[in-house]
Amino acid sequence: MKVREGSLTSTTESLCPECLRKIPAQREVQGENVYLVKRCPEHGEYRTLIWHGSPQWASWVRPTIPTPPKECFTQVDKGCPFDCGLCADHYKTTCTALLEVTQRCNLNCRFCFANAGTELDEPSLKVIEGWYKNVLAASGPVNIQLSGGEPTLRDDLPEIIEMGRRLGFNFIQINTNGLRLAEDSPYLSRLKIAGLSSVFLQFDGTEDQIYQAIRGRQLYDLKVKAIENCAEHGIGVVLVPTLIPGINTDNIGGIIKFALKNHPAVRGVHFQPVSYFGRIPQEPLDEDRITLPEVIQAIEKQTEGLIKAENLKPHNGRCSFSGSFTRRADGSLKPILNNSCCERPERADELARKTRTFVARQWSGPELFKVQTVKDNPGDSWDNLIQQLKTYAFSLSGMAFQDVWNLDLERLKNCCIHVVSPEGKLIPFCAYNLTAKNGRSLYRKGR
Amino acid sequence: MSNTPKQTEKLPWKCGKCGGELERGLVKASYLGNDFEVQELKCLNCGLVLITEELALGKMFEVEQSLEDK
Repeated sequence: MKVREGSLTSTTESLCPECLRKIPAQREVQGENVYLVKRCPEHGEYRTLIWHGSPQWASWVRPTIPTPPKECFTQVDKGCPFDCGLCADHYKTTCTALLEVTQRCNLNCRFCFANAGTELDEPSLKVIEGWYKNVLAASGPVNIQLSGGEPTLRDDLPEIIEMGRRLGFNFIQINTNGLRLAEDSPYLSRLKIAGLSSVFLQFDGTEDQIYQAIRGRQLYDLKVKAIENCAEHGIGVVLVPTLIPGINTDNIGGIIKFALKNHPAVRGVHFQPVSYFGRIPQEPLDEDRITLPEVIQAIEKQTEGLIKAENLKPHNGRCSFSGSFTRRADGSLKPILNNSCCERPERADELARKTRTFVARQWSGPELFKVQTVKDNPGDSWDNLIQQLKTYAFSLSGMAFQDVWNLDLERLKNCCIHVVSPEGKLIPFCAYNLTAKNGRSLYRKGR
Repeated sequence: MSNTPKQTEKLPWKCGKCGGELERGLVKASYLGNDFEVQELKCLNCGLVLITEELALGKMFEVEQSLEDK
């Protein structure tokens, strides 16, 4: 592999986008840019932008001491990423376990990890119970995200949530496009009664042309309605935009302002820069990507300084950022300082535990929307303070998923978002969704 | 707090530092750069504040956790 003059490099491993064989890779720093450069002996060189601008690549680290899963469902055999289950070589226990409860969907999006399917392919409650139990064995009562497909197409979703709560999972979230939540309030009520904590709402922007471009339909009014309904039921909402250059990257500030306008029902925004899965006729260009520092810069610029880049910190290494704030009465945001981050190495299981606790606290729907004034409750201002801190907390975060072009196996080993496969194995999110250029999947069946 | 003594009640506490009487009042607290005021018992004489073990390990700890990032 050619190393360009004047560049700093570090080594890792990746896969060939054509044949999925494991190949050596280098992270090459060139000025403001960092590239992942790799060469397959058969299919040639690939060079993908993975970082652009400030905060600098070198500064964005969160040193972690690996801690393996409590119970491994696969043996180390061929090496990462071919033994996922999790295997004993995985660095981090689960923060969030994803259960795909259906592959059906009521949208047909350009950018989607999900498959298509029929009702007949759906896992039964008994199968889902087995998945929950495997998650408990491997990682304990971690945060659960029920995903799909579109999970709200299942009429028995309340039963699935109730079962999870009964088995000891305290934070259960659904990953949804919100269509049914907008239109079927009794269903939302059943979800709430069953123990739903939070809605991870696909929310790509505040303009209908964005939805038209990405989702093929104008959906803005439905999203607003879904949020209103969740607020009425005391269910917390996290807005989740998929950021696609040229489509909604100019709307980042608009999304944050919308979130604050709908706070405290909206608990935060979680940005997901687009990644490329499925059959891709052409290799994605660097212009087709937005890297994490570009998202961070856009947040500062487009919120006119309401949020500063320096208030956002690395979370899961170079996969993510996060910042938490308290909203003041005048609409400004006070950053919550994070002294515990990024100086000394942290145990991976401790970091995963902190993440779970933070997510469960921040993203849950407050029964706490009503904050008492000190006048109403003069005798107990600690309770009031706790309630205010919870209710007025607002979070911004982002996670960059990896595709076959920018895959860095060091990052993959550090992943704490794990999908439960139909066989009940826990597979890191980016490995589970990874596909070769021709659409062939590393892990998903039927692709 | 349900166990908060009423103003009129005779308090079982005396200030350990100066022996003064305690009274409920606003107390300034600070954690990780965040300041807030809460009602607590403090010495009328020297201003020393009573933080019980129950409070330190309970509600105060909860506030600290709320102010810590992930």
